[in-house]
Amino acid sequence: MRRATQVTEANHSSQEQSNSDTTSVDDAPLEAYQSSLPGFLGTIDTGISRVESLMLAAGVLLMAANTMSNVVGRFVFQSSIFFSEELNRILIILITFAGISYAARHGRHIRMSAIFDALPPKLRKPLMILISLVTAVFMFGLAWYATQYILTQAGRGRVLPALQIPVWMPLVWVPIGFFMTGLQYLLTAIKNLIEKDIYLSTNVLEGYEDNEQEI
Amino acid sequence: MAVTIFSIMIVLLLLGFPMMIPLIVGAFVGFFMLFDGMAQMETMIQQMMAGIRPASLIAVPMFIFAADIMTRGQSAGRLIDMVMAFVGHLKGGLAVSTAAACTMFGAVSGSTQATVVAIGSPLRPRMLKAGYKDSFILALIVNSSDIAFLIPPSIGMIIYGVVSNTSIAELFIAGIGPGLLILVLFSIYSVIYAIRNNVPTEEKTTWPERLRAVRQALWPMGFPAIIIGGIYGGIFSPTEAAAACVLYALLLETVVFRSLDFTGVYETAKSTGLITAVVFILVGAGAAFSWVISFAQIPQAILGSIGIDEMGAIGVLFVISIAFFIGCMFVDPIVVILVLVPIFAPVVKSVGLDPVLVGTVITLQVAIGSATPPFGCDIFTAIAVFKRPYIDVVRGTPPFILMLLSVSVALIFFPQIALFLRDLAFAK
Repeated sequence: MRRATQVTEANHSSQEQSNSDTTSVDDAPLEAYQSSLPGFLGTIDTGISRVESLMLAAGVLLMAANTMSNVVGRFVFQSSIFFSEELNRILIILITFAGISYAARHGRHIRMSAIFDALPPKLRKPLMILISLVTAVFMFGLAWYATQYILTQAGRGRVLPALQIPVWMPLVWVPIGFFMTGLQYLLTAIKNLIEKDIYLSTNVLEGYEDNEQEI
Repeated sequence: MAVTIFSIMIVLLLLGFPMMIPLIVGAFVGFFMLFDGMAQMETMIQQMMAGIRPASLIAVPMFIFAADIMTRGQSAGRLIDMVMAFVGHLKGGLAVSTAAACTMFGAVSGSTQATVVAIGSPLRPRMLKAGYKDSFILALIVNSSDIAFLIPPSIGMIIYGVVSNTSIAELFIAGIGPGLLILVLFSIYSVIYAIRNNVPTEEKTTWPERLRAVRQALWPMGFPAIIIGGIYGGIFSPTEAAAACVLYALLLETVVFRSLDFTGVYETAKSTGLITAVVFILVGAGAAFSWVISFAQIPQAILGSIGIDEMGAIGVLFVISIAFFIGCMFVDPIVVILVLVPIFAPVVKSVGLDPVLVGTVITLQVAIGSATPPFGCDIFTAIAVFKRPYIDVVRGTPPFILMLLSVSVALIFFPQIALFLRDLAFAK
């Protein structure tokens, strides 16, 4: 089985995780992230991670509050909130694109790792570097085309019908999210190049427990 | 073109790339080949955004949030105690209770992995103590948890409903019949197993104890009431039912049971957000991918080459079942639904199959596939949760897979298993 270990300066606790989970709730709580980057860059990275986690939690709570008030409004006051659907649409973009970067940071994107895990470490390491680099390239590419897409939308000057804000505004998270995700995978590739161990993400070490039969 | 795209995707998948990458690269190659280069990449982004746009998808994070809150609280334990109080003393009662508790928790959560954790973790030690073999226990837990996929709410059904433009409310109601049928089969097998292996029975509980257990479980029983009652009665849309569940779960765990404080709720929201993002990037990438393959008429080409037009409705259902069953043996159910549903959409329409029936058949196959070796994703959840080697988890699986497959064959020949309740609820 797979064991991923959070290696941070602040703590050395470990967390169990399965890489094929979509909706698992068995993972250890997402601990406070400490960047493994040196110096000033590390401070920025830790800061970005805090912002991402705040956006995730606030996004979900706001979405829940919005959807619940809409239901309550309809039953108690016989009227729906007129911007409810648009607000949820904005929030789901926020959650998705703040989350893909946060998931990359914590090595939590689902993957079919059965074959990967069965390979010897000598092969796993270059493969991990390849996976991280190719993923980074596609994320940067999507960030670029998402920017173009936003510019096109901005050029049309349309606004959301209920909220009256420009259509492009809620989309700014799309290129930012793709770019930050690409950056995480690029850093993972670099980390794997300079360190001896195999890293699932910049601070999640991939490893196996010795006392258990490998699959 | 189809061959190029699918072979690239399969290679990326097997190498262990994050699952969004095969989908994104598949879509990218499609756009590249179809429009001679990078000219239409903005359309790809546009299609990704369109994929996560449908309002009914909001039900996914809401149900995950509600389930996440419940799993951290006391609801699972209370449900188990209630089931145990009634069937625990029968021959094989502990095993039957496990299957029944999984089904009931499925009516609360909608995720198979959450069910493995919430029901499997507390019940496995009790079954071991009672004398059941571990291979039987693990197989029972993994396969019973799959009932959760069929019992509403079901994340898989929401995604299918959005991708195929089918009523999610009708899908939810249609899943109940097959889910209960599986529970009955598993219970019968459990009793036979207990008799053959002479597993001792538990002590019988008295009626006052039973009443107390029911009272304890009344609160969590509100979830099926909200979801099934609300949708059945036409009060809620699935998204509204999901929001009502979140509200109910929050009230229950923070005010009534007091097992979560604000920090707990905040942490739960964060973990829900993370899971949501991981699922939604797949939904977005899947939408771009299915747009491009539909535009290139690839589904018609693939299915035409196997002569699907001459197969008739039952033949088509068999092909769909096999494709989803095999797909889910290797890949996460959501990815399989995102890739395969658009491929089968044209033929489902042309042979005039009921999309709700197709959705139920697909959800059942997806559930079976996730518990089937070699790579069913629930097997790996069980490995992670119970810390048992792979071989122990899959050893007892074959009888369960046989029962599940017989249910899927039955469902194809007797669609009323699924459609009876739907027709009753929606007066078709």
